[in-house]
Amino acid sequence: MGETAEVLIIGAGASGAVAAKHLAEAGVGVVCLEQGRQVEASEFYGDKTEWELMSQRLWHPNPNVRGLATDYPIDTSESDVNPLMFAGVGGSTLIYAAHWQRFMPSDFRVKSLDGVADDWPFTYRDLEPFYDHMDVEMGVSGLAGDPAYPPMTPPPLPPLPIGKIGRLAAKGMNDLGWHWWPAPQAIPSRAYRGRSQCARRGTCMQGCPEQAKASTDLTHWPDAIANGAQLITGARVREITVNAQGLASGAIWIDRDGVEHHQRAEKVIVCANGVGTPRLLLLSGGDRFAGGLGNSSGLVGRNLMMHPYAATVGYFDEPLDSWLGPAGQAIHSMQFYETDKSRGFVRGAKWNAMPTGGPLGMRSAYGGAPLEEAWGENLHRATQKRFGHSFEWGIIAEDLPDPENRVVLDDSLTDTDGIPSPKIIYRNSENTEKLIAFHLERQREAMEAAGAKSISTTTLMRDCGWHLMGTCRMGNDPETSVLDQWGTSHDVPNLHVLDGSTFVTSSGFNPTATICAIALRSVMHMIETRADQRVAS
Amino acid sequence: MSTLSDSRRAALNTIGDVLIPAALGMPCFTDAGDVDAMVDHVLSLRRELTDGLNQALDRVGAEEEAAAAAERLNRDDPDGLATIGLVASSAYYMMPEVRRIMGYRGQEQRPATADEEHDYMRDGLLQPVIDRGPIFRDPDGD
Repeated sequence: MGETAEVLIIGAGASGAVAAKHLAEAGVGVVCLEQGRQVEASEFYGDKTEWELMSQRLWHPNPNVRGLATDYPIDTSESDVNPLMFAGVGGSTLIYAAHWQRFMPSDFRVKSLDGVADDWPFTYRDLEPFYDHMDVEMGVSGLAGDPAYPPMTPPPLPPLPIGKIGRLAAKGMNDLGWHWWPAPQAIPSRAYRGRSQCARRGTCMQGCPEQAKASTDLTHWPDAIANGAQLITGARVREITVNAQGLASGAIWIDRDGVEHHQRAEKVIVCANGVGTPRLLLLSGGDRFAGGLGNSSGLVGRNLMMHPYAATVGYFDEPLDSWLGPAGQAIHSMQFYETDKSRGFVRGAKWNAMPTGGPLGMRSAYGGAPLEEAWGENLHRATQKRFGHSFEWGIIAEDLPDPENRVVLDDSLTDTDGIPSPKIIYRNSENTEKLIAFHLERQREAMEAAGAKSISTTTLMRDCGWHLMGTCRMGNDPETSVLDQWGTSHDVPNLHVLDGSTFVTSSGFNPTATICAIALRSVMHMIETRADQRVAS
Repeated sequence: MSTLSDSRRAALNTIGDVLIPAALGMPCFTDAGDVDAMVDHVLSLRRELTDGLNQALDRVGAEEEAAAAAERLNRDDPDGLATIGLVASSAYYMMPEVRRIMGYRGQEQRPATADEEHDYMRDGLLQPVIDRGPIFRDPDGD
C-alpha cells in the first residue's frame, strides 16, 4: 500500500460502486477499502430448502442478529427502529428488495411547499438525467407513463408481471378510484448485460441465487476492476487521516490478521452508509477537527431518518401463489403521497403490494403468548390462512429530519477490531405517528375493497431501518449542512460523502435509486472539475 | 451424526406433537417423515440454537403429560418454548410430505411468460389510473 491513491473510496456498496466504476472509466486511479468480503451467489439460500431457516440468522438484515465479524454491532437501546445493512462487495444491495423508485419533484422542495424541513440544493430536474443513466446501468424493469411522476425516459426493460396479488390489489384500488402502477424494480424482466432473467423465486431480500437482481457487485464492480480500480476486502477503516494543510490524506485500516495499514490518497470519498459514514467521521479528525472530521456544523450524525415501516396484510380465500417473487413489490401507489394538511400531518408515503413468503414465517416470535393461540390446531389454521392466500400493503413513511435523531459513538460497545460502535438515538415523531395511523386506515379500506376476508396490521416493524439517511446532509450553508450539493465537505475540500447520509429529507420512497443518481451526479462533477480541485499532496 | 441425546430427542418429539398436532389435514410433527434427521439438519445449520434447545428440553420431565409440560414451559421459560417451536416448525415445514400436502414446491423458479406481461393493459385494469391523469405536485415545472 505504498502508493498514494488518486481517489480512496471507503465502502463498496451502492454509491461506492457507482463512484469506482465511473472514476476508473475516466482514468482516475481508485483504491476501495471494504470491510466485508465478496459473496458468491451459491452462498444464498433462495434456491434451497433451508431458505426461511437461514433468513432468520445468516441472511438476516440486522447486523446485531447476524453477528458476523465483518459487521459492527450497533447499540439500538435508545431507538424505535433497528438499522439494517450488509457489509460486503455490493453492500446492502446484496439483500435489498430492489424497489427502484425515483423521488418525486416535491421531495426536493419540502420547505417551500410544506413549510417543514429544508429544500434540497438541487431539483428533480437536475437529478433526472442521472436517474435515467442509473436505470440503464442497473437494468430497471418498469412501465413508462406513471401519472405520479412527470413524463420520463422509459426504463430499459418491460415491467415484471404484477401477478395474482398485484391484480387483486389493483382491483381494490380501482374500486376506490385510487392510484396504482406496476412497480419499477432493479430486477431484469429479460436477460440483461450478463445477468439472468428474474426467476421470481421471491428471495431477493436474502440474496439472489440467480444473479438476476441488480446488486452492484454484479452491475458495477466488474467494470470498475476491469478499468483498474483496486478493491481491497476485509479492510476495516479506523480513521481518515488529515495532513498539515487540513486536507484528508488517506485512511488507516486493519486487515483480517489485525495488521494496520495506512492507505494514502489525494482525495477521500466515504460511502459507508448513513450509520457507518458518520461513525467514521466522528472517529476521525484528531485535535485539529475536534468533534469529528467535517463537523464544524455539529450536524455529522444528526438528522438520521430511517423510514418507519408499517403494513397491512389481507387474507383471501382464493389461491394467490403469494410466495412468488419478486419479493419487493408487484404494484405501488402514491395516492396519499403528497401533503394534504387537512389530514393533520404533512408529507406522505409510498405503498407497496408485496408477497408474504413461505410457510415458516416467524414462529419463534410467539414464545410467551397463550400456547393455543400460536400452536396446536391454530398453527395449521394460521398457516393455511396466510400461506399462499395473502398479500401485504407496506407503507414507506416519510420521517422528517430531527437533529435529536442521531448516530453517536458508543461508550463501551466495539467491533471485533476494538473500534467504537455506533449508537442510534431515534424516536418517531408525532407527525410520523399520525401519518402511519392515517395510512393504515386507508390500507384497511384498500384491503376490504380487494375482497380480503380478514385483515391484520403492523403499526411499526422494529426491524425496518433499511433506509439510512440524513446524517451528513447537503446544503448551501456550512452552518446548517455538512456537505455542498456535490457531496463535498464544507470543511475539508478533498473529502466527499456520496451515500444516503447526504439526504436533506427522506421522501417516502426506497432510496437506492436516488443514492446512486446523486453519487453519479457528484462523481461526474468531480471528473469534470478534476483540474481545479484541491488534493492532498 | 445425532445432535440430541435420546432423552432430549424424546422430549422434543413429545412437545413437538403438542405444538404441531395432526389436524386440518396436516400430519403431526412426528408423522411428517424422518423428522429426527431433519432436526439434526436444522441444528447443523443453526448451531447457535443447540444450547437453548437442550436447556429447554431438560426442563421436560420424563413422566410429565405432554400438553401440561408444554403449557408449563411456555409459562416458565417462554424463550425455551420458542426455541423448541422454531426448531420443530423449521424441520416440519422442510419435510417433503408436508410441502406436498401444502402444494408448496419451495421458492421455485418460475420465470415470467409473455402471457403474464401487460395483462393489465390488455384487459383495461390500468386504464382508470391512466384516465385520471397526473397526481404529482411539480414545483419546478412549467
